[in-house]
Formats: sequence, structure tokens, C-alpha cells
Amino acid sequence: MACVREAYLDYAAATPVDPAVAEAMLPYLTERFWNPSAPYARAREVRDDVERARGTVARLIGAQPDGIVFTAGATEANNLAFAAVDGHVVVDAIEHESVLACAGTHERRTVRVGTDGIVDPAAVARAIRPETELVSVELANGEIGAIQPVREISRLVAAERTRRLEAGERRPILLHSDASQAAGVLSVNVSSLGVDLLTLSAAKIYGPKQVGLLWASDEVRLRPLVYGGGQEAGVRSGTENVAGIVGFARALELACERRDEERRRLAGLRERLRAAIVGELPWAVVAGPRNAKRRLPGLLHVSFAGIEARRLVIALERVGVSVGTGSACAASRMRVSHVLDAVGMPRQLAEGSLRLTLGRGLDEGDVDYAAAAIVGAVRAEMARLGLDNATQEARVADLMGEWR
Amino acid sequence: MARVFCGLSGGVDSALAAALLVERGHEVTAVYMRNWSRDLPGFRCPWADDLADAERVAVTLGIDLEVWDCEAEYRTTVVDYLVDAYAHGRTPNPDVMCNQTIKFGTFAERALERGADFVATGHYGRIVREGGRTLLLRARDERKDQTYFLWRVGEEALSRALLPVGEIADKAEVRRMCAERGLGVESKPDSDGICFVGPVGIRTFLLDELERRAGDVVEWETGRVLGHHDGAFLFTVGQRKGLDLGGGPARYVVSTDVENNVVYVTADRMSPALFTREIRLEDVRWISGEPPADGRYLVRTRHTGELREADLLGSVLRFDKPVRRVAPGQSAVLYDGLRCLGGGIVQAEEGRPPFRIEGGARCP
Repeated sequence: MACVREAYLDYAAATPVDPAVAEAMLPYLTERFWNPSAPYARAREVRDDVERARGTVARLIGAQPDGIVFTAGATEANNLAFAAVDGHVVVDAIEHESVLACAGTHERRTVRVGTDGIVDPAAVARAIRPETELVSVELANGEIGAIQPVREISRLVAAERTRRLEAGERRPILLHSDASQAAGVLSVNVSSLGVDLLTLSAAKIYGPKQVGLLWASDEVRLRPLVYGGGQEAGVRSGTENVAGIVGFARALELACERRDEERRRLAGLRERLRAAIVGELPWAVVAGPRNAKRRLPGLLHVSFAGIEARRLVIALERVGVSVGTGSACAASRMRVSHVLDAVGMPRQLAEGSLRLTLGRGLDEGDVDYAAAAIVGAVRAEMARLGLDNATQEARVADLMGEWR
Repeated sequence: MARVFCGLSGGVDSALAAALLVERGHEVTAVYMRNWSRDLPGFRCPWADDLADAERVAVTLGIDLEVWDCEAEYRTTVVDYLVDAYAHGRTPNPDVMCNQTIKFGTFAERALERGADFVATGHYGRIVREGGRTLLLRARDERKDQTYFLWRVGEEALSRALLPVGEIADKAEVRRMCAERGLGVESKPDSDGICFVGPVGIRTFLLDELERRAGDVVEWETGRVLGHHDGAFLFTVGQRKGLDLGGGPARYVVSTDVENNVVYVTADRMSPALFTREIRLEDVRWISGEPPADGRYLVRTRHTGELREADLLGSVLRFDKPVRRVAPGQSAVLYDGLRCLGGGIVQAEEGRPPFRIEGGARCP
């Protein structure tokens, strides 16, 4: 069905490749296709281009180039980070599934989060044991937008490191952060974050899918998951994804250039979207941190009690509006997302939750269109179910009583 | 206006059924029956995609969609039945059991408990109510008629059922009507075959459930061992494919002996062993509850297969001319004109290979 207008509000799931990124990549798909390991001069040039991209990325995250391993996406990078340790790990309960799955292969402690999704550093400190080898906390959560206090957690990890040093314990402890959802709007400088391992994804910053990286400090000894020809210093074999790596570097450059402006712009659009929805449906519940500094500027998580979000998605797609419900994987398995479970959101709210994420392609007109479509879809469901604002307000008051 | 619970599978037929019921002014609740969700090697069970399609239809029509978990009943009454039948050398029709025990069993019972006046499905068949009785007729589209799978559903259940697409003259029309209504499923392929084995076939499924058991493939006429197989339960009468005999002429399964794990085959497509004039039925069921009088009826022994005349004598069907033998475990369904009467399960025959007949020298 052809729609008059379209509005894509699912930038946390996928971003379109920026035309400038595509332009940077294209020569490496067609003309400059050589294998970086081949001996002739042209191939050496391509190898230099890969190294130049590595250098660009390193500069943008404030790191040394030789600490960067390019991977096929953030999931692989997270796997690589966890493969570096054998022992006990500490994670929080709303990490991406790839981190939780990796943690599942280790002895672990899972730290609970608050109802706003924020990790309490003191809880992390309590979870760290003398045998803990890795702490992993994402920089920002892609579902309810919580920005985690990674720097404070870093100080706690450093304190534990000092304690071990003084006690003569040799066991290292590392801090990993998956910054995939944050890189477009937050600084991902590894020294100011104070991390030992950092995951980034190109696919969330208007770069290609299946390209990511793991940065590791000099202290970390990475262990390969993919064996072969010894590329990426032996940590990640396989012919380099040259176009992808070049595109990733360009995408990160653009993200850094536009970061401050984009953050302000997205925060404005998000507020516009929130106000338009809540103005019409005052009983809608906005989840995530209330303090704007502690949440992703372009993410609005909104729940409509007693309304099925899956039906809203279908009604909205019919008018050209694409939105997320919880995380995609969780949705296809018919489960409430682990994130909403972890923040303790009542099921009636969780099942009526939309995750709206904004990005470069949207302007005020798009946001107004999407807001009107969402309000219209919710009202249509209310009419079908015989609900009105008054009954909904009462229902939400009850639900909020048992939650926050 | 009636309260109708309509099964919605995510496919074309049930989507149109629901749409037609809404248009007729009924108060419709759609139900997705989740019967099975297991993956097989090479086949990802598409239940979640089917559910998403069903949801799309329900939202478009503005009706409720509920998901009912019927996996436990489906496992015991359809899948276990199927596996057990194959293990005993029979070739069952799981759809027949599914209709009897799930769609017009569990689903209908729960719907009626919930206050439904009727249940509806996307089956191709027609229900006619006359003089206090309910009759099941073949669908207007004879090429899609599904009464072959409905013969075990009793009159009582049919009296509370609606089959709206059975009235439509052909499948192309069904797709067109779905497209007109923007239901978004009009281009989905027909799902013929057993839904839970998908394109990988029953063999993969059975080898997942039953123990592989090497045995001989034996020539019916001579007793010669022609090759080997992975289990006689994997084969069915008349089967030609899947016999790994390393070339030579095409061969057909004449019979299987699961007890001794032997598969008998013949290269002679017209071998008398592949034909019969008589089919014995067991586990007979009649829609009206009353067995029909002995006499001449139309008989169908496979879905949309030829309707042949035969004489019913008690529980035996006698044909005028020899017909291809039907695998034991299959359904034989009887019709009086358009009306589906019921039927029975084809019994195993006590056939013996000719080479075993004592002193019986076989002349070519």
C-alpha cells in the first residue's frame, strides 16, 4: 500500500547509510577491491587505507590505533571482549542480549537497575568480588535511553584494582562498555570514560551493517574467536572488510562533527513528540530517566496501558510510520523485553510500549505527522475497546502505584 | 448478528473468512491457535511470522486477536498419533485429526464456553442447515474442497460452525477479495502438506522422532534384495521417490512390513499387487451419527483426488474395477452427491509376497 507520507522512528534499530559514507565506500567495492594482504603496490595502498581508517577511528575515540580490532558488528565485538577473561564477570540487567548471552557463559553477578533503568555504581561496587575479572556496563541503553554512569563505575573498578595491587593479588579487573547506541550523541573518548574495552557499531551511526570494533587497552590480552590468516594482529582473521572499515571511519567522523548540534536538535524533536502525544493522551507513561542529561536525546519510550503495542505497530505501518516495540528480538519471541522486566514495568504497560527513536532524517513536520498518527492509532484502539481518557487515567494511576 | 470466534492462521483463507464475517455484521473475535513451534533441521517453524500476519489482518479488520496455546493437545492428538501410526506402518492424515480434535475440538469448545454462537475457519466446505439437521457439502471450488479433511467432525460441532470461503467459486477470487480489502496476505503461498514438517518433508521429521533402523528393500515378485533403507516406517504404499536403489528402473512400494523392517517394491507399474477392488475400513465415523445404508456412494481416498463410485457393504468398499491401493492409515471419505457422509481409516491388508507362497512357482 502506498502511503502519502512516511516517517521512520526506529533509528535505534537501524540507520540509513549516510550518502557521504556510501560515497567513501564505493571505490572499495568496485575499483579498489584488492586484498590488503596481497603483495603488489595497489594492494598495499588499500592496506594503507585500512590503516588510515583505523587511525581516524583511534583519534576520534582518543586511543592508539593498534588497540582497535575491526569486527563484523557490535555483537562480535562484545563476544571478543568477554573471551578475554575466564573468571567472574559483573553486568547489569538491561545490557544488550549479546552482552547478557556472553555473561551467561561465565560465573557472574547481574546488577539490578532502578525503575528509570540507571545502574547504581554502589550496586556495581557491591557486586565486584575479589575474583571478578570483567565489569560490563553499556554507555547508553537503546530501549529506554538510560545513560549509565560509566565514569563513576570506572573509578570503582580502579579502586578495586588498587586494592588488589596493595594486597598483592595478581588478578586483573577490566571495565568494558558497549557504546553502540551512544556514539551518535555522546563522547566515546576511552580515556575520559575510563574503560579498558569499548564496543562500537557502524550500523547505529549511519554506517554499514556488520561492521563494528572492539578497542582494548594495552593491558588487555585479546583471544581470537575466529582463526585463520592472522589479520587484525591475529585477533580476528579473515580478509578485512575494506569498504566497511572505510565507511565506518567516515561515519564516525561525521558523527563527531555533528554530535553537539544533533544532540540539541534531537532533544528538541523528542520534546516536541512527547508533548504532542502526552498533550492528547495525558495518561501515556514516559519511561526512562527524567533528567534529560541522563538519557539519550533522541529516544522516547512511551507506554499506553492496556493497548497492545503490536497492534499499534501494524496500524502505524499502514500510514507509513515505523516504530519499535521493546527490542526487536524479544518482540518476535512474544516476550516482554528483558529491559522492561528489569525496570519492573507492570505487564499492562510493558505490552503497550512503543520505543520511538529519532535521527538525522527527521524534521519537525515528520515528528508532528508521527505524533498525530500515534495518537490516532491509540484512539482507534481505545474506541474499539470501549476505553476513554478517564478510565485510562484511573488504570494508569493504579499501575503506577504498584510500580514507581 | 452473532458472536463468532474465527480461527486466524495468518493465511489467505482464514483472513477472508474473518473479513466476510465482519462485513456480515457479526461480532468477531479472531484466535490464533498456536499448535506447534518446533524447528526441524533445515526448517524454521514460521509460527511467529504467521502470527504477525494474523495480527495484521485483525488490526485491519479492527477485531480482537487472541493467541491460544494448543500445543499440548496438538502434541498428543495429532503429532503423537502421527508418529505412532507411522511406527506401525500406516500413513495417517494429521489434518483429519487436527480438525477433529483441535479446530472443531479444543478451539470450538473453548469458544463456546466463552459465549460464542459460532466458530469459523477458512476451510473450503459448505455447511447447510435444513429441517433441523446440519449437512456438510463439498466446497463450491471443487479443486480446493477440503471436506476430505473434515469427515471426522460430527454434526453437533458442524451445527455451530461457519465456513464462509467454501461458498466462493475459486481460489483466485479469494486472493482477489483479500487484496481488495488490504489484508496484506493475498500473495502468501498455499500451504498444502503437513504444516509442521514444512518443505523438509515427513522423512526428516520422522527421523527426528523415531530410531533409524537399517533394513532391506526386497523385490516383490522374486524376493531379491535390491538395496537398503533407513526404516520401513519411512515408506508408504505406492511411493516411488526416496528409494535409494542406485539406478535401474523406477520402482514402487507395494507394501511395508515394519515388524520385520522390510520394504517390498516392484518395477511393474501395473503390477496386480498395486491394485485392489476392495478397501476395508476401520474406525468409521459418520457425520450424522448414523451409518448410511449399504449401497452405492462416491468415494475419495486422497485430498482432492478422484471421486469414484463404490458399493458400501458394512465397512467394506467394493469398486467395479481395480483401483490403486491406498496406504493403510489414510482416510476413505464417502459422499452422497455433494454431501459428505463421513468415512473410515483404510485397514492394512493381509497381503503376502508371491515368492513366499509355499510351492508356488511363479510364471512370468
